[in-house]
Amino acid sequence: MTGATPPLRVLVSDTAVARVAAHRALAVPGVLALQADLTQTALGIAGAWLGPGGRSAPPAGAAAEVRDQTVQVALTVVTGLGQNCRDLAQAVQRAVAAEIAGYTGLVATVTVTISEVLLDA
Amino acid sequence: MAVTGPASGPAAGPDGPIAPLGCGRDAALVWDRTEAGLPPDEHERDCPHCSATFAEADRLHRLVHRMAAEPVEPPPSVLERAMGAVRTEFRQRDLLELASPHGPARLSRPAAAAVLRHAVDRMAGMRARSCRIEQAAGPGPDGQPAAADVMITVTARFGVELASVTARVRQMVLAAGEQALGVPVRRVDIDVVDVFEDGQP
Repeated sequence: MTGATPPLRVLVSDTAVARVAAHRALAVPGVLALQADLTQTALGIAGAWLGPGGRSAPPAGAAAEVRDQTVQVALTVVTGLGQNCRDLAQAVQRAVAAEIAGYTGLVATVTVTISEVLLDA
Repeated sequence: MAVTGPASGPAAGPDGPIAPLGCGRDAALVWDRTEAGLPPDEHERDCPHCSATFAEADRLHRLVHRMAAEPVEPPPSVLERAMGAVRTEFRQRDLLELASPHGPARLSRPAAAAVLRHAVDRMAGMRARSCRIEQAAGPGPDGQPAAADVMITVTARFGVELASVTARVRQMVLAAGEQALGVPVRRVDIDVVDVFEDGQP
C-alpha cells in the first residue's frame, strides 16, 4: 500500500453527451423543439420493431460522437418565425459547447441544422 | 400422422437410403412425429433406439424454436452506414449554409423558402406561388457562406402597378433574408405568373 491515489479514467458515452446537448439546446430562447432526422427516425422505427437491444436510444434531434477529448455534436432544431435563424444557430452552438465543456470537460464542435421554421409560432 | 409400427422400408436421403434404427423403424418418421408435436407412441416409449432418437429430435426442435423467438438485431455498422449515406445526400441538396464562427450552421432550404413566401403573402396585392433559393457551394471571398439567389413566382392583384409592387417584393425578400433567415440575398428574380381579383381564392 503506497497511499498513492489510483488513477481515475472517466468515459462519457455518445448518448450521454447527446442528452446533455439536447437538454441545453431546448433551453435556448427560440428553440421550439428538436427534430429527429431521417437516420434517427429509421433507427427509432427499427428499435420499436426489434427492441432496443440493450442500448438506450439517443434523444431525438441530437447526436454526438466522442473521440478522445473532443466531441462532434449535431442538433436538428425547430424554431418559429421571428427568430433570426443565423443568430439562433450561433446561440445554440455557444450554449451547448459551453454546457458540454462544463459538464464533461470535452471540447465540442456543435453543428446546428434548422430544419423547420413554424410560421404560426 | 399416426405411426404404430415399423416402417416398410428405409427412407431416401440425399446420400442414398437412410439406414433404419436398430428396431427397424425409420428415424425420419420419429423426427416427423417430434416436429409435429406428437407424443411418443407406445413403441417409441419402450424402444431405446426410438426414445433416444425422439429425445435428440426434441432437443433440436426446442433449440431452433428458442433461437427463432430471439429478437433480431441488424448489424449497426451496416444500417448506420446506409442511413448516413442517405442523410448526407439529403443535406447537401436541401441545406443553406449560415455564417457562424462556432462551427457548421445550416438552414433547411424548404423552410427558408416557406419564410420568404410567407413574407410576400403578407403584402397587399401579391401572393407567392413558389420560391427557389440557390446558394453557391463553399465560402465566398470573405470566408463567409455565399449570398443567396432567390427566384420567386407570384400572382398580382388585378390592377396593381407591377413595377411598383415587384420592387416592394424585392425589398421584402432582401429584408426577410437578412432579418428572418440570416442569409444575405444577392439577387431576386420575380416571375409574375398570373393575376387575381379581390375575393378570388
